[in-house]
Amino acid sequence: MTGARDLAALLPLAIPAAAACLLPIAALDKDQSAQKWIRGAMFFMAMLALLGSFFYVTQLWSTGHQPVYAQLSMDRLAQFAAIFVLIAAALTVLQLWDHLHQEGWVKGECLALLLTSVSGMMLFTATTHLMLLFIGLELFSIPLYALTATLRTRSEAAEGGMKYFLTGAVASSCFLMGAVLLYGVTGTLDVSEMGIRLSVAKGLDPLALVGAALLLLGFLFKASAAPFHQWTPDAYEGAPHPIAAFMSVATKGVALIALLRIFPGLVAGGDSLLGVKVRMAIALAAVLTMIVGNLTALVQTRIKRMLAYSSISHAGYLLLAFVAGTPQAFTGVLFYLVAYLAMNMGAFGLLTAFGLVGERVTFDHLRGLGWKRPGVSIAATLCLLSLAGIPPTAGFFGKYMIFKELVQTGHVGLTVLAVLASLVSVYYYLRIPVALWLEQPKTSIEREAAELPAVDAPFAGATVLVCGALVLACGFLQTLLVNGFVARVIRDWMGIIR
Amino acid sequence: MSAWISSHLLTFLVFAPLFWGLIVIAFPERLAPLARLLALLGSTGVFFIALIHLLRASPEYGALFDERIPWFTIVGLPVDYHLAADGLNLWLVLLTTFLTPLTLFGTWNSITKRAGTAAALFLLLEAGMLGALLAQDLLLFYLFWEAMLLPMYFLIGVWGGEDRKYAANKFILYTLAGSLLWLVALLYVASKAGSFAPPLMAQAVQTLPDKVQKTLFLAFALAFAVKIPLFPLHTWLPDAHTEAPTAGSVILAGVLLKLGTYGFIRFAIPMFPSAFIHYAQALAILSVIAIIYGALVAMVQWDIKKLVAYSSVSHMGFVMLGISSMTVIGTQGAMLQMLNHGISTGALFLLVGMLYDRAHTRMIADFGGVASKMPIFTTFFLIVTLSSIGLPLTNGFVGEFLILNGTYIAGFAWGRMIAILATLGIVLGAVYLLWMVKRVFWGPVNTDEDSGTAHLHEDLNAREIAVLVPIVVMIFWMGLHPQTFLASSQAPVEQLLKEAKAPAPRMSVMQVQGVKP
Repeated sequence: MTGARDLAALLPLAIPAAAACLLPIAALDKDQSAQKWIRGAMFFMAMLALLGSFFYVTQLWSTGHQPVYAQLSMDRLAQFAAIFVLIAAALTVLQLWDHLHQEGWVKGECLALLLTSVSGMMLFTATTHLMLLFIGLELFSIPLYALTATLRTRSEAAEGGMKYFLTGAVASSCFLMGAVLLYGVTGTLDVSEMGIRLSVAKGLDPLALVGAALLLLGFLFKASAAPFHQWTPDAYEGAPHPIAAFMSVATKGVALIALLRIFPGLVAGGDSLLGVKVRMAIALAAVLTMIVGNLTALVQTRIKRMLAYSSISHAGYLLLAFVAGTPQAFTGVLFYLVAYLAMNMGAFGLLTAFGLVGERVTFDHLRGLGWKRPGVSIAATLCLLSLAGIPPTAGFFGKYMIFKELVQTGHVGLTVLAVLASLVSVYYYLRIPVALWLEQPKTSIEREAAELPAVDAPFAGATVLVCGALVLACGFLQTLLVNGFVARVIRDWMGIIR
Repeated sequence: MSAWISSHLLTFLVFAPLFWGLIVIAFPERLAPLARLLALLGSTGVFFIALIHLLRASPEYGALFDERIPWFTIVGLPVDYHLAADGLNLWLVLLTTFLTPLTLFGTWNSITKRAGTAAALFLLLEAGMLGALLAQDLLLFYLFWEAMLLPMYFLIGVWGGEDRKYAANKFILYTLAGSLLWLVALLYVASKAGSFAPPLMAQAVQTLPDKVQKTLFLAFALAFAVKIPLFPLHTWLPDAHTEAPTAGSVILAGVLLKLGTYGFIRFAIPMFPSAFIHYAQALAILSVIAIIYGALVAMVQWDIKKLVAYSSVSHMGFVMLGISSMTVIGTQGAMLQMLNHGISTGALFLLVGMLYDRAHTRMIADFGGVASKMPIFTTFFLIVTLSSIGLPLTNGFVGEFLILNGTYIAGFAWGRMIAILATLGIVLGAVYLLWMVKRVFWGPVNTDEDSGTAHLHEDLNAREIAVLVPIVVMIFWMGLHPQTFLASSQAPVEQLLKEAKAPAPRMSVMQVQGVKP
């Protein structure tokens, strides 16, 4: 396997990376009159790179080709992750165009950083080699630290970026330390090999346990699971809306997909002592995440902080699937991630579509807007209902799949806790539809809004509509998505590890 | 088209209102009158199609219509798209299709803002209710059960009164609290049975330990009891009713609450027969508490609508009492009482809405002497009130009589005591309703300028009379010839109780005399 040198495996990563290198050059020109064109060209180029990579990956998918380049294997799971990240990134770029214009801060570095991050994420999900994993982790994290502080004149942006960077650096070093310890114990950096060696070893080496725990910490941090979630609300609040959406969807997604990939190795066959401990740790983190995320989200007054805690709570539901640990639960994870991509991008996109920037991101600023722009608002309402898990939206089926496996594997207590947590979540998710449809606008806010230039966010509006449609489509055509796509990923991937 | 409808009647019944509603909701606000008209015509059409097809089939033999195709299989569990109409849901389906156009027409001018959207939500609500009534696959039932919350949520939340946000949130959170725990139980049984089909699930339940069965039953019961609503889970209902627009209240009382009791009959009893027998007495006692407590609280209300809302708690207590008696006669009474309550309480809400549209108040103290100002209205109101009390010749009497009879001979201990206490509820029902009628309609005309009576200038118009006449016809029809409505459910109910191995009812009083048990 190590002998394989198929460049096709590198190409999906290389396309966005190459574009990321070219974009800053375009940003050099400071000529005012050319600015408008340059901006357009930059966004166009970024979209083109994402689309190119997307088509390349989908072509790999449809031909069934699973190229391998040394430790990097573009198998179905990696292709799925790549498609997931690329769609998220494309929606982000579209929303970013509108959002940065609203903020009056259209600079080139944003797109370059975003594309670098996309490459990093693809690398992160395409390998079981711990060093490559670490490189991928850093490659997608460091640009995100910078992206969080994009609007650097604003104090909360700098604060959010700094917090994210410092805590992220600690998490990354924990990840590295864990990798080193595991290497010391087993003598290999490949997790799948590591699993085999750990499972034949007698007893449990405490170093291996510490190593696995530290490694897990890195993943939980990126997935914003409690107790490593503290950075989330601050980072999201400081970041531009689309970047916050990208972080919540793509970072969480790739962290969980990568965890999924190394999970069989990490639990070393599943029944070993290490496996039991890792599962217990994940169960504990999941419970804590659901409780902390949902209860804290209840009392937020700002939409983005609410969505940040909501995103924390979704990490909890997703981690539950690892507790169940069956192939069908992993199918549930991937389905849930697709649903989550649509519904969370839609929920964040709503803010951009209505031009809520800076201090104006409170529930009061959404009041009564539903009747003014019904299309976007209906789509966003669908996204929020889906986040709350109300049928027949995609979010319900995601929860349904995970909870069913959890019940089947005998974790009834955990399931009851999870449904109670999602009951709590209904209340805070409904606050946005309540503001949109049920409440009258405040006169002071209406006056303020009248003074501002009219909101024009065609791209963000379109993304919200697409997300709303996706949420419904995934809800009604769940079989197509599951059997035609997601289940195949898991089947092929399970075949590989066997 | 017509042939397609005949062979796919149930699909048509569920999806016609859905698609019609989606078309109507897309109308801009300036076309609201047209949208409302289309909604009315659409729902009327659905009613007549349902009426013609369902009554033409002969109701005595099992399922009248049955549509079943595999829908999807994810995570190893097959889910069927399985709809069926049989003796248990036939009349409830007709009630739903009957009440929807009637309500739309009866509240024609009540909603002034965004009337088209409200009418469209009504159609979506109808689709959800029909889907839940017809669904034979438990996941399908769950999906419809949850999906019908949303239109109701927005109806209360957007078109409701002062505290509408609070009431709407309370409504949805209460219902979800019940149904989410129920979902866990559902998944548990389904993963044991490998299917969501009730017969297979019932078989799987039999293999489970007794304690697990009871816990699972309680999870089912919780979801249904919130919906009914059974004491002490009823607190969302008065709020929802008071804040909801008239049309919302009518459908809420008329159909939505029935889904709780229907859920017991359709799913909880067949799936958990022994657990149900075990908890039957407890449920009966809770029902009696609901009957008496609801009546007592209704007595002290100042707001007519709230009074009717609490009377709803009391009446639904009767339905639950009939079901928990585990006798054929009691369950049949419950089946009839569901229809009665839908008609009578629905009509009461309509009438209160008509009064409110004119007087813009619902406080009892604001009225007095309405009879002399609105004689036709008073006549209708009195007929409906008396039917709600359960006067012989009206529908309420038959249902309550059967239920009390069933409870009296119920297999569990204290059945007679419970029946006697429940009878007290009827007396209290007469007290609070007639006392309200006395204060609102009789007596000297309230001459205060700000009073409600002073704003009553015109009696019912032709449209309102046209809405009320069918209701009054139904009240007397059901009171004088209840067999029409009971015949179709007789065989299914007998079979249900036989399969559940319900304890034998006690002998009647005369047979028991002189014989020591």
